[in-house]
Amino acid sequence: MWTRSSDFDRMFTAMDLLRSRMNRVFTDYDRLYGKGYEWTVTEGAPRTNLYDAGDHFEIRAELAGITKEDLNVKIQGNYLEVSGKRKPDAPEGYTTHRVERGTTAFSRSFTLPADVDAEQVTANLKDGILTLILPKAEAAKLKQVTIN
Amino acid sequence: MDERTELAKREENMMEKSYEIPAVAPVVDIFENDDEILLHADMPGVAKENISVNIDNGKLSLSGVRKLETEGAATWSEFGDVEFRRTFSVPQTIDVGKVNAELKEGVLKLHLPKSEAAKPRQIEIHAG
Repeated sequence: MWTRSSDFDRMFTAMDLLRSRMNRVFTDYDRLYGKGYEWTVTEGAPRTNLYDAGDHFEIRAELAGITKEDLNVKIQGNYLEVSGKRKPDAPEGYTTHRVERGTTAFSRSFTLPADVDAEQVTANLKDGILTLILPKAEAAKLKQVTIN
Repeated sequence: MDERTELAKREENMMEKSYEIPAVAPVVDIFENDDEILLHADMPGVAKENISVNIDNGKLSLSGVRKLETEGAATWSEFGDVEFRRTFSVPQTIDVGKVNAELKEGVLKLHLPKSEAAKPRQIEIHAG
């Protein structure tokens, strides 16, 4: 009987351990996600979102600390390329305690789901987010069919 | 309607229920000179009014909430709404009243000036 209850104890200890490990999984996940922000620019590619809004596509890219002069956007047909570089913004005459933000060049290219009208594309950079509005080419737009 | 579905329904209709956004630590650079400590934090997509900086009892907490207004269906999505949140220990020698922050291109630059007493002082040596 005594042995059995200590077996139970051991089982519960194991379960507690599992639970605390499980709790840590999520903080690790957070940290991983947080780490993700490190490689946004350092490892060559900013994060992007692509939305399809019927008559146009919208691309958003996370580009903190990049001025519009340091950004290049190229489009041909359904091929899109966003490249640029982040200049170091370390101030003069300061000692550095910690550097987590990368300062390298990056380039990312996409194949869009349909051709876009390159002439009508607008780009806007605000608060470190680049927003590209890419109207679809006439041929790629949905056509309403009238039913007789 | 049995009790369980009623409970489920009530939960769905609860006013307090708001969806939680994930919190991540923003990446930072920290610099220091004789006059101040300077912190740069990447907070892409966070508007000025959604950033809060609190200094209390030697703890500096940064928080910035990003809310993306989206249109259309996402074909792919690698980032979303997020709260950038991070806490640092700051020395008591920071002059809290003179702390100032600027936000530019998604980078928060926080200047933490040192109080006069904490600045290094050159001691003049008099020849006896």
